[in-house]
Amino acid sequence: MRRTYLWFFQLVTGALIAVLLGIHIVVQHFDAILVFFGVDAAQSTSWAAMTARASQGIWVFIYIALLAVGLYHGINGLRNIILEVTRSTRAERAVTWAMIVIGIIFFAGGTYVPVALLTG
Amino acid sequence: MSGDSAKQVTFKVQRYDPEKDSAPHFQEFTVPTSRGMTVLDGLLYIKENLESSLTFRSSCRMSICGSCAMFINNYPRLACHTQIEELQADRLTIQPLPNLPIIKDLVPDLNPMFSNHKAIKPYLIRHDTAEMESPGAEYAQLPEELNDYLQFSYCVKCGICVAACPTSASDTLFLGPQALAQCYHYCADSRDEGEAERFPLVDTDHGVWHCHFAGACSEACPKGLDPALAIQLLKRRLTSQALRLRKKQQPSPLVLPPTESKPEIAYPEFSAGEGT
Amino acid sequence: MMKQAQPRQNYLGPAGWVWAGKYKLERYLYLLHRVTGLGLILFVLVHLIMTTVFRIQGQDIWEATMALLHNPWFKIGEYLVVVAFSLHALNGLRLIIQELGFALGKPTPPIYPYQDALRKKRPGTIVMVAVIIILAAAFLFDFLQGGW
Repeated sequence: MRRTYLWFFQLVTGALIAVLLGIHIVVQHFDAILVFFGVDAAQSTSWAAMTARASQGIWVFIYIALLAVGLYHGINGLRNIILEVTRSTRAERAVTWAMIVIGIIFFAGGTYVPVALLTG
Repeated sequence: MSGDSAKQVTFKVQRYDPEKDSAPHFQEFTVPTSRGMTVLDGLLYIKENLESSLTFRSSCRMSICGSCAMFINNYPRLACHTQIEELQADRLTIQPLPNLPIIKDLVPDLNPMFSNHKAIKPYLIRHDTAEMESPGAEYAQLPEELNDYLQFSYCVKCGICVAACPTSASDTLFLGPQALAQCYHYCADSRDEGEAERFPLVDTDHGVWHCHFAGACSEACPKGLDPALAIQLLKRRLTSQALRLRKKQQPSPLVLPPTESKPEIAYPEFSAGEGT
Repeated sequence: MMKQAQPRQNYLGPAGWVWAGKYKLERYLYLLHRVTGLGLILFVLVHLIMTTVFRIQGQDIWEATMALLHNPWFKIGEYLVVVAFSLHALNGLRLIIQELGFALGKPTPPIYPYQDALRKKRPGTIVMVAVIIILAAAFLFDFLQGGW
């Protein structure tokens, strides 16, 4: 049942990404639309706004959560697509291990930076 | 004879002779068509009058056997079920089904599909093996239970769904929509107890999870089977099994034949000559 | 003596993901879902490198990077990413519901003309595509407002 769990998790992370990434995009990129709602989030990618967010625990939490679900969903999806064109079991195993390594590297790097900025 | 003259339609047919050709190529024929002629009629006309080496499969000519499945004008269809007039074209391009190997001309090799079908155990499995080997009784099944799987029992194994599936195009180890739909067909049958045996066969890296619901199989199926629906329902069963949400279903019970003989009914006395 | 020739392989390969015949809406939504998914994962990996490696090096490096990224080409790319996300997310929500077997109806004995489950639910899918198009237009407005 392992692949059933993997796929079910793909659905769950997909739904979570829809929520978290929605928040991320609206707050950090939709300056004009937010103005309609009365929120002046001008220059949300300015240095001041970013250092302000980096010191708030809730944003760090959202970033790390989004990173985890996003990496799982994307890398598992990429793995499924590549497995549809591989033919040997050896290649499949190599692909799976490569994906796991990529995931770990990006998760480690992506978690280190916000935590370092929060604490450091 | 009808008054209107026969319409000449060009058949561009893919030819491939494994003993002579290195690659498939097209050959064109002009066929006089009339109202009601099917593509199969056209191919038979070519074989009888123009090119007797043209090779294709056909049998029932009434879309029940599934032999004549081909790729006609960029869509997989049964040649006997496709009227030439319905295609509304002066040129027909006829190729063998994609995603299946070609034996010759328009004849696909259906063995990959058959071996996938056999792999998912397409027969009723009960725990009572003695009863399975020498059956002595019937299984009771309600009409509602029959409707749960009846639609998927109409498969004629024509191969059109496999030709339509985008995953079958690239993944040679994929079970295919035909095998997966038939797996659901047997699992959904209330007389069957073989889910535990079949689930590990489809929960593989090239099993049911490589279906992404493109729906082309259901769209093209000539018998209205809807294999895509069967596969999504199979995914639902697998997921609820994995999450332990599945209630244990009792399979259909045996209905033993009656042991008592019927009571004797007295033969009525007819007196002769009393009217008719 | 006739040699038994091996049947000729006739797989379409990954080209079969793009085109294999004249199919309908859901087959192309599958293709778009795949294309946007690949585009998004590529963007995510690049984005992660930008916001970690370049962020932690301090304000000057960050503002230099941002100045580089205010190129109109990158803005167009950003817009494409947002549209890709809306398509992938909304189609993904549809797939979550339908691939678990919900909202597809029950199996019915096939009576000609055959209506498969996707065809019966196609009006809903078309509404979803309309929502995606409306969102893409709304985002276009926002990007144009934001200026280059």
